[in-house]
Amino acid sequence: MNLGKFDHTPAWCPGCGNFPILKTLEKALDQAGIDRRKLVLTSGIGQAAKTPHYTRANVFNGLHGRALPAATGIKIANRDIEVVITSGDGDMYGEGGNHFIHAIRRNIPVKAFVHNNQVYGLTKGQASPTSDLGFITKIQTHGVRNTPFNPLAVAIVEDCPFVARTFSGDRDHLLAMMVAALQFTGGFVLLDILQPCVSFNRRNTNQWYRERVKPVDDSHDPFDRRAALEIALTWGDEIPIGIIYRSNRKSYFDD
Amino acid sequence: MDITIRIAGEAGQGLQTTGDLLVRVFTRLGLHVFSTQSYLSRIRGGLNWCDIRIEDKELFSGREQADLLVALNKDALDELRDQVTEGGMILFNGSAESGILGVDFSAIAKELVGSAVMANSVAAGAIIELLGYDIEELCRFLEVTFKKKGDEIIQNNVKCARQGAAMVSSQAGHIAAPKPTGSPECVCTGGEALGLGAATAGVSFATAYPMTPGTAVLTYLAGVSDEYGITVEQAEDEIAAVNMVCGAVYAGAVAMTTTSGGGFALMTEGVSLAGMMELPIVIHIAQRPGPATGLPTRTAQQDLKMVLYAGHGEFPRAIYTPGTLRQAYDLMRRAFETAHKYQSPVFILSDEFLVDIQKNIEPLDKIRRPIVQYIVEEAGPDYQRYTVTPDGISPRAVPGGEALVICDSDEHSESGHITEDLAARIRQQDKRMAKGKGILAEVIPPEVYGPAEATHLLVCWGSTYGPCREAVDRLNSGEPNFAMVHFSQVWPIDVEKVKKILTPQGLDSSLRKITFVEGNVTAQMASVLREQGIHLDCDTLLRYDGMPFSGEEIARRIEK
Repeated sequence: MNLGKFDHTPAWCPGCGNFPILKTLEKALDQAGIDRRKLVLTSGIGQAAKTPHYTRANVFNGLHGRALPAATGIKIANRDIEVVITSGDGDMYGEGGNHFIHAIRRNIPVKAFVHNNQVYGLTKGQASPTSDLGFITKIQTHGVRNTPFNPLAVAIVEDCPFVARTFSGDRDHLLAMMVAALQFTGGFVLLDILQPCVSFNRRNTNQWYRERVKPVDDSHDPFDRRAALEIALTWGDEIPIGIIYRSNRKSYFDD
Repeated sequence: MDITIRIAGEAGQGLQTTGDLLVRVFTRLGLHVFSTQSYLSRIRGGLNWCDIRIEDKELFSGREQADLLVALNKDALDELRDQVTEGGMILFNGSAESGILGVDFSAIAKELVGSAVMANSVAAGAIIELLGYDIEELCRFLEVTFKKKGDEIIQNNVKCARQGAAMVSSQAGHIAAPKPTGSPECVCTGGEALGLGAATAGVSFATAYPMTPGTAVLTYLAGVSDEYGITVEQAEDEIAAVNMVCGAVYAGAVAMTTTSGGGFALMTEGVSLAGMMELPIVIHIAQRPGPATGLPTRTAQQDLKMVLYAGHGEFPRAIYTPGTLRQAYDLMRRAFETAHKYQSPVFILSDEFLVDIQKNIEPLDKIRRPIVQYIVEEAGPDYQRYTVTPDGISPRAVPGGEALVICDSDEHSESGHITEDLAARIRQQDKRMAKGKGILAEVIPPEVYGPAEATHLLVCWGSTYGPCREAVDRLNSGEPNFAMVHFSQVWPIDVEKVKKILTPQGLDSSLRKITFVEGNVTAQMASVLREQGIHLDCDTLLRYDGMPFSGEEIARRIEK
């Protein structure tokens, strides 16, 4: 049985937020002048975690939740390599939550692009760590009761040197954030990318995000930790996007 | 004639310091030394002891009873006084009573130099004197040891040692100790031998989440990390530890992680990842008794089957089980060589006993001699990571060159990209398994110690080497009927070779007795051999209380 031809087309639904993310990633890599031979795209498991297969790069598509430790090992083994993680909210904030906490503490200079659609796609629609309260699924039949994980706030509290959020539906913003992230060399980068899941998240739709996302004000000083935390804690009618926090903390390789 | 000195007390009383001091002085004197630890999982209090056995020839095991018990507190005296040989002596850190020599080490140190810290030197002085060795040798050693700390410290320690000796001088030489006849100078522990094996093999990245007794190897590597260029990373958990190693070897590092059974349980998905991605990872597992947290500071041989079957799916592997310090050093290197040659996970299975053994041995080569990694430099843009080859070994490139290196935990095509093509699946699964043949062809055959035609075989693996070997020597003091068969590699099994050793043709098998000596409840090695089709009518001699075997114990139980 030769099913080979099915492998080369993305396994995503039409309208999936992963498509604009993939397209923009390609553009951002070119714009940032990344040599594909010196780039490793790392991921865990999930729909977003398949992204590395659809680009031209070195690929380490490892275990569910374990993209960050693998990325850490790769970067330590060869610091000339650019390591970009493209994985989802379940992979990075759920199964890999402990690694997320400690990779930021370690301040290993890798770039985490987290496709955050607030739902589990590949396993067909269960709640993710970032699902909104009350979100009803086939498992969470009475709605989500767990406090949504706030990756930005956690990263800021840990003094992550680069914390940003963007939205897959705003290509220009997405591109600008990706390029800024790729050009940053000072340590761990968290880029949380809000993204609709057209099949399993009927609540946080493309439209829903579009009505709410709002670039952070130009007057915001990303080095102001308290102000950054305030922005990170904002979620609801308004969802701030942009570079939210910056710090000059030493990276893993700095003496 | 050999002597065992048992220094016992509570954690925090400086047992280790005194023990280490004596091991080095005995080595300087030219004695063969074999030292083991017995300690509880606590930092203060409890009852711990350090055994130092000395002899005029090489030693491989500890003894059950002590010839000289040095009790640093009342608990140690009460608990261990029954385990002293006939004609042995007890030296108590306090006042004398009938049959017990009393020397208050701390009080003497305080009086002499104003601090109890040097009580160790008082004790060491008394011990050397009781054994009839030259106290000057201890003083000279203290001078060398404390050279950096200045004259005052040296003089104070020497003063304490001399006073310790003076306190027992009426009993000098009371214990008939072995005559020094010259011995190797390199004092080494099992953990150090394993670590040095890794460092000299060129390990560039080592990770662990701290877990007794596996941590010893990481501690060693951290200590020499600048000298050998090793990045040592304490991971947030064992899952991270193994996945970091997977990432690092993918990018070209020589990398390992070290743990114990419980931590290894968490690593098993990573083992499977290395099987699928064909990553040359090395994992050291120092066993301790389970299940669960078990006895954290004790020894066991209970994880052979877990390591053999760890990781879902089917893929080849190798498991080395060193029995001596020299084997620990050599097999750690061998583990890296096998892992890289066959792009597969390889395991070093040791235990608390082996890791904590301290012994003087012929020096181990400290020169860094990196292993061959078999990384292809000339791979171009058409490179495919998982090209099918007859021996299953695909040329391995690492990222950063002309070739793009694609690795996936999903089933993949030759290119490395994810596939659900079932024919490709079979090709890749067959390719991965084919590497097992090469690993098998290079397997280390079991070592036979004693006459090959012995009528009674003691079969063992890993750290049981020493006690078993000594048991054979004891049992063979009359008719040489016994031999030991030791597996320093327990997987894969070369069935025909093993059969030839255990049940040679021409030997009436009904005349040969086979006993498996293992530190577990279910005789795991015997079971693994049976599973491979080696049908043995055998006995078992097992121990699972957390303490290591001794040669005399095995011999006694066999003779029963």
